[in-house]
Amino acid sequence: MKTLLLSLFVAFFGLASPVRAEPVVVVNAASSIGPLSQDEIINIFLGRYRRLPTGDAAQPIDQPESSALRAEFYRKLVNKDVNEINAYWSRLIFSGRTSPPLQAASVAEVTVQLLARPGAIAYVERAQVDKRLRIIMEFPR
Amino acid sequence: MFITRKNRPRSFDWLWKNATAGALFCLSLSTPVAQAQDSTAAGWSAVSLHGFGTLGFTRGDDDNAELVRDLSQPNGAGTHWATKVDSLLGVQANIHFSTATEGVVQLVSRYHADSTYRPEVTWAFVRHDFSPDFSLRVGRLGTEFYMLGDSRLVGYSNLSVRPPPDFYGSLVLSYIDGLDVIMTRPVASGLLKGKLFAGQSPESTPYAPGILWDLKGSQLVGGYLDYIRGPWQFRLSHAQVRFEQEAPFDELLQGSLPQPYLSQVPAMAMAGQSARFSSLGLVFDQGPINVQFMLNQIRHDSAAYTSTKAAYVMAAYRLGAVTPYLGVSRSVSDAAVLTGNPAFYPVTASLVAHSVTDQHTYTAGARWDVQKDMALKAQVDWVRGTPASVFLLKDVQTGSWDGNLTAVSLTLDFVF
Repeated sequence: MKTLLLSLFVAFFGLASPVRAEPVVVVNAASSIGPLSQDEIINIFLGRYRRLPTGDAAQPIDQPESSALRAEFYRKLVNKDVNEINAYWSRLIFSGRTSPPLQAASVAEVTVQLLARPGAIAYVERAQVDKRLRIIMEFPR
Repeated sequence: MFITRKNRPRSFDWLWKNATAGALFCLSLSTPVAQAQDSTAAGWSAVSLHGFGTLGFTRGDDDNAELVRDLSQPNGAGTHWATKVDSLLGVQANIHFSTATEGVVQLVSRYHADSTYRPEVTWAFVRHDFSPDFSLRVGRLGTEFYMLGDSRLVGYSNLSVRPPPDFYGSLVLSYIDGLDVIMTRPVASGLLKGKLFAGQSPESTPYAPGILWDLKGSQLVGGYLDYIRGPWQFRLSHAQVRFEQEAPFDELLQGSLPQPYLSQVPAMAMAGQSARFSSLGLVFDQGPINVQFMLNQIRHDSAAYTSTKAAYVMAAYRLGAVTPYLGVSRSVSDAAVLTGNPAFYPVTASLVAHSVTDQHTYTAGARWDVQKDMALKAQVDWVRGTPASVFLLKDVQTGSWDGNLTAVSLTLDFVF
C-alpha cells in the first residue's frame, strides 16, 4: 500500500511538474575536441561559425524535433522557444546558407551519429552520459 | 573594394556560362554521390525538399492608391480584400554532394511584374565551403542589399506580415546570376562576417500599367560587413546597380511629343547609369525581445529618379506563442532637380514625380505561432504622407490622393 501511494505520489507530481531535462553538450570521448564556451556552442548550433579550435568543421546534431530535451537545450542556450529556432532556420535554409544541425530521428541515433561522424557535437540528457561520451560544456545550474 | 563603373567589363556572360556548366556538372554527379552518402550516413538523405508559403488577405481604405509589397508588383490592394499582395508559394530542393558542397534550387510563385503568378527560379546555385569559415556560391542568388533582404519572401521567418515597404519596397531586383563569397572570423569575442557579390540581373519590373522596364543585363556588385556579438548584430552594406537597358520613358510618352523624349533630354536616360544603395542595420535579439533598426540611402546618377533615404525601427516582445510588435518607418526623397532642355520641364517634372516619396508608416501587429511551422499574423499599417508621395504605391490618382492610407492584413505563413 505504501509503495502504491508513493508511486501514485510520484506519478502525480511527475505529471504536474515534470522534472526539467538537463542537457549537457558532449562529443565522442575519443575525439580531440576540448571544452568549449557557451558562445562557441551557440555559434556551432546556430550555424554562425563552425570552425573548431582544431581547424576542423564542427557537425552539430539535434535531438528529435519534438523532444523536451531539444526545447530545453535551446531555452538554456539562447533563451528561445522551438518556434523561434524553426523560424530562424527557415530564414537560413531558404536563403541558401548554412545547414541546420543534423536532425536525429531518435535519442539512440544521436549517439550512433556522434560516434560515427568526425567533428560531431551533440547534447544529451546528463543521466545518459556514459564512458563513450565526454562532456565539453555544461550550463550553469 | 568595389569595381568602378568605368573599368568593369560590360557583361558577366562568361561567369554565368561557367556557373551553369559547373552546376550541371555537379548535378550530373548527384545521383551516385547521393547513394554513396546514404550508405555511410545511416539514413540521412542527400536530397531534401522544403517549402514555404503565405496565404494573405489585405485591404486598404482609400480608392486613390493601392498598397503593394514592393515595386515588382504592378498593382496591389485597394478597398477590397486582395490576396495578391502577400500570397506566395515556394519550393526548394537541397542536394548535398558532400559535407562541403551543396546545390540549391528554389522556385517561387507570387504575383509579380507581368501580373501573373508564373513561377520564377529565385535561387539555383552550388555552394562550396572551402573551409568552415569561407564559402563560395555560384549560380542564381537572392540579392541582399539590406539585412534580412534575401529572405523577405519567407513570411514564416519574419515577424511582421511583410518587410516594411518604406524600406524594402523599392527593391525590384530579387536575384542575380553571378557569385558571392562569404568569410567569417572571430574578432574580440564576436564574429566578423563579410560578403561580396557580383552578377547581372535577369529580371524586369513594372514601370507603368502595361509597360515593363527590362532590367536584364544590369550589373550588380556589392557586399557587407557584419559584426555579431551576443544578442547584437550590426551591419554596414553597400551595393551598386548599373542599368543596362533604357527605362521606357519614350514608350510611356509615345505620341505625345514630336520627337523621342530621351533624344531631347539625355540627362534623364537610365541606361549606363548607376544607383548606389548604402545601409546600416542593427538588430538586438535576446530571449523574448527583438528590436530591428535600419537606415538606407539610395543615390541615383540619372536625373530621372530622386535619391531617397529610408529608416525603420520595429520592436517585438514574445508572450508565449503570441508576439506583438510595433514599428515605424519613414521614406523621403531628396528635392527633385530638373535638368536638360527647359522646354521639356513639364514632362521631365511629371516623370521625376513618379519617384517621389515622403511618408511615414506606423505599424502594429501580432504573430501567433499556432502550431509547429505555422504562424498567423494580423497587422494594421497607417501610411501618413504628403499628396506628392506616390513612389511606393500603385495606381495613385494624383489630384485626389492625399497621402494617407490605412491597410489591414491577415496572413497565414507556413514552412514544410
